[in-house]
Amino acid sequence: MLSITNLHAGYGKIEVLQGISLEVPKGQVVTLIGSNGAGKTTTMRAISGMIAPREGKVMLGAIDITGRESHRIARLGLAHSPEGRRVFATMTVNDNLLLGAFPRFTGARKKGDIAADVERAMEYFPRLKERRLQLAGTLSGGEQQMLAMARAMMMNPEVVLLDEPSMGLAPILVDEVFRIISRLRSEGVTMLLVEQFAAAALNVSDYGYVLENGRIAVHGPAATLKNDPAVQAAYLGGGH
Amino acid sequence: MMKSRPLLLAAIGLVVLALFPVLVENPYYIHLVETISIYAILLFGLDIVVGYTGQVSLGHAGLFGIGAYSAGVVIMHFPDTPFVLVPIVAIAVTALFGAVLALPALRVTGPYLAMVTLAFGTIIQILINEMDFLTNGPMGITLSKPTVLGHEMSDREFFWVVAFLLVAALLVVNRILRSHLGRAFEALRGSPVASDCMGVSVYRYKVYAFVVSAGLAGLAGSLYSYSEQYISPNTYNFELTVLFLLAIIMGGRKTRSGALLGATIIVMLPKLLDDIVLFRYVAVIFAALVLVGAAIFVAKGRSTLQRVAVPVVGTIALAGISFVLSNITDWRLSIFGLITLLVVYYLQDGIVGFVRSTLGLHGHGRTDAEAAALLPSPVDAVSTSVAATATPATQDLVAADKVLMQFGGLKALNDVDLHVSRGTIHGLIGPNGSGKSTMMNVLTGIYVPTEGAIAFKGQSIVGKTSARIALAGIARTFQNVQLFGEMTALQNVLVGLHHTYRSNLLDVALHLPRYRREERAAMARAYALLKFVGLESLAGEEARNLPYGKQRLLEIARALALSPELLLLDEPAAGLTAPDIKELVVIIRKIREHGITLILIEHHMDVVMAVCDIVTVLDFGQKIAEGTPAAVQANPQVIKAYLGGELDASIAH
Repeated sequence: MLSITNLHAGYGKIEVLQGISLEVPKGQVVTLIGSNGAGKTTTMRAISGMIAPREGKVMLGAIDITGRESHRIARLGLAHSPEGRRVFATMTVNDNLLLGAFPRFTGARKKGDIAADVERAMEYFPRLKERRLQLAGTLSGGEQQMLAMARAMMMNPEVVLLDEPSMGLAPILVDEVFRIISRLRSEGVTMLLVEQFAAAALNVSDYGYVLENGRIAVHGPAATLKNDPAVQAAYLGGGH
Repeated sequence: MMKSRPLLLAAIGLVVLALFPVLVENPYYIHLVETISIYAILLFGLDIVVGYTGQVSLGHAGLFGIGAYSAGVVIMHFPDTPFVLVPIVAIAVTALFGAVLALPALRVTGPYLAMVTLAFGTIIQILINEMDFLTNGPMGITLSKPTVLGHEMSDREFFWVVAFLLVAALLVVNRILRSHLGRAFEALRGSPVASDCMGVSVYRYKVYAFVVSAGLAGLAGSLYSYSEQYISPNTYNFELTVLFLLAIIMGGRKTRSGALLGATIIVMLPKLLDDIVLFRYVAVIFAALVLVGAAIFVAKGRSTLQRVAVPVVGTIALAGISFVLSNITDWRLSIFGLITLLVVYYLQDGIVGFVRSTLGLHGHGRTDAEAAALLPSPVDAVSTSVAATATPATQDLVAADKVLMQFGGLKALNDVDLHVSRGTIHGLIGPNGSGKSTMMNVLTGIYVPTEGAIAFKGQSIVGKTSARIALAGIARTFQNVQLFGEMTALQNVLVGLHHTYRSNLLDVALHLPRYRREERAAMARAYALLKFVGLESLAGEEARNLPYGKQRLLEIARALALSPELLLLDEPAAGLTAPDIKELVVIIRKIREHGITLILIEHHMDVVMAVCDIVTVLDFGQKIAEGTPAAVQANPQVIKAYLGGELDASIAH
């Protein structure tokens, strides 16, 4: 579904990604693992057009989306839930969700039953239901994170990029986020996941890539990576 | 090598400027260059407000007018005033008005500030017009070139005076902006809340920026009145103010060369559009430049045909039109508008910014970082003022009692007591939205609690400003990172070290020993602090380009620069992977070993368990548990509200 070949990208003089290639097959959850600064977020930003790749190719299905503007990429069915809760703070939870479905209102994507999908999002995230008419900016950090995820799903996307969905969440909510990811996975949602809790991320993924200094160091089925002693020592340790 | 080139350029510039009136006899051209120089002085100042502190000002034509009229009025009413005094009076009077203009900037920003400053400019123009007794009203004031020692200056001599003051202004402004004062201005733009929490009062430095900026406008205005030898109220109108703003945007903000270039453009372009033959030449050269530039960009893969199409076609069309038109006068405003639109749209960092990024040049940020690396490191970068202000060890460092923080009907904190003992690491945990960050904001003066008492070192801090609380010894990091994005990692830490400077404007402008000593010490300490958190290799990198986890570490380094007694860390481990977290734990322990007390908000229970001595748990704004990490972790209420059940934990861990 999503296929990246020899991607180079960076900021200013720093080249963060030095030629990475990866595949996210339809209906699978793929996770990117790596230490801080390895290039996980940059990969996501280069895919969704928030920064322009310097070299390489990004394909969404059969469409070449390399270097296109983010809003066009989004309309083709790629949803990006960015790091750090970027919700529309002065709008209600409900309106945030409806905005997530924007490409469906404009005809860029199939319309379907938007109201029903709002209800479904509320069912996934019951806390949002309680706060439906509250301004998103007044939600707690965890609730904003859930809203960002729910909003990304509202597009009925082909692929979802989830960047650090559990960041800044209380342990009890971290569990909930992972439960939702595995539920989405069981429903056949295609996902590229970046997570601070690498071990937990591998638990809910089909496949994994390990990024080191802007290059793919190791990749393999999630279960294999999880039992790889080198990966365990470098990324899965630390008391998790 | 690298260093000698700008020096050489500067020397050539100086010689050209000095020889200009000798080589070019035509008084018209001398006057043109003089006007550019005068505008440039004003633009240096405007750039402080617009480029550095990020405020909008549409009031600078008004300030320019105040400067011109201060000179004019003094000369008209006291003809015997010595020349040297006139610009000084103009600077003082205009600076005072600058402080007045700063007042709205303290309350409003963006389009609102634009409206208020615009109103200021208009009122000034009207006042000059109406106050006949002082300003001679619409008739204007006629004056002659200054007289020094009984000799009236010639055009050429006055040109030299302006040229000298231009160079002096350039030097002083450059020094101010590269000093701790300039960093304070820039920090305001990056994050006002973080500035305050670094002890850099937003209030004070906004006013400061406007005052310095207005002072320069005053100087420019007074020179302008001598240069024109006639001033009248309608010069200082809305168009002029827009032109000034345009010059900054077109030239490129945050550079002195941008201001010089901008001044040249706004003075020369209208003249250029007067002469059709000259305009044709320039339009053709311009189109050729854009075409060649675009070709290189496309060939190098730095842009696409699509993106360069409009500017290439636009400039070629402009050149074509210039040959079709026989009379340019009717079209000059449209053409001026078109050119402006092209530049502003395509070169958002201005011409200088564009050239810099194309040639891969970088500002002084990186060279400063390289220089800082070579300085001898201080004995101990992480220090605290504990020894100096020792309070009895038995007394709590922080004693918050019955704190109530109410937002409308919501009680974000409801009767919370928090006592933190000196030298401990005090954990603060709880579900999202339970009031942890609100507590941080109450402790650092961002919120004033509705009720309750908070004492730090035995003294109440309720109602004190964030900047004062920061200077009293409470430093913090932010849950959603609040770095000064356009500044380098080193400069961010230097803002935290602002409190170590005693130098005033004079020390900075003249680079007196005190300033040089303080700057060197701060540089060395900032670098050492970066080293402490393991970021020294990124010292010259802009903060916004750092990965998230490194940004969090940079915030810690910046907070430590305050030499705090209490450090509040708001979710330092958020978004960090397991190996990074291990490093963080080491850093937190090292900070404590330096005698600094910490309050730690964190969701990573492994971090909390590893470092905290005591943990307070909040839920719905109330304290539900407090005790050792182990006791809290076993507390059924905490498990229910926050940690989650055993079964769930196995999924996530």
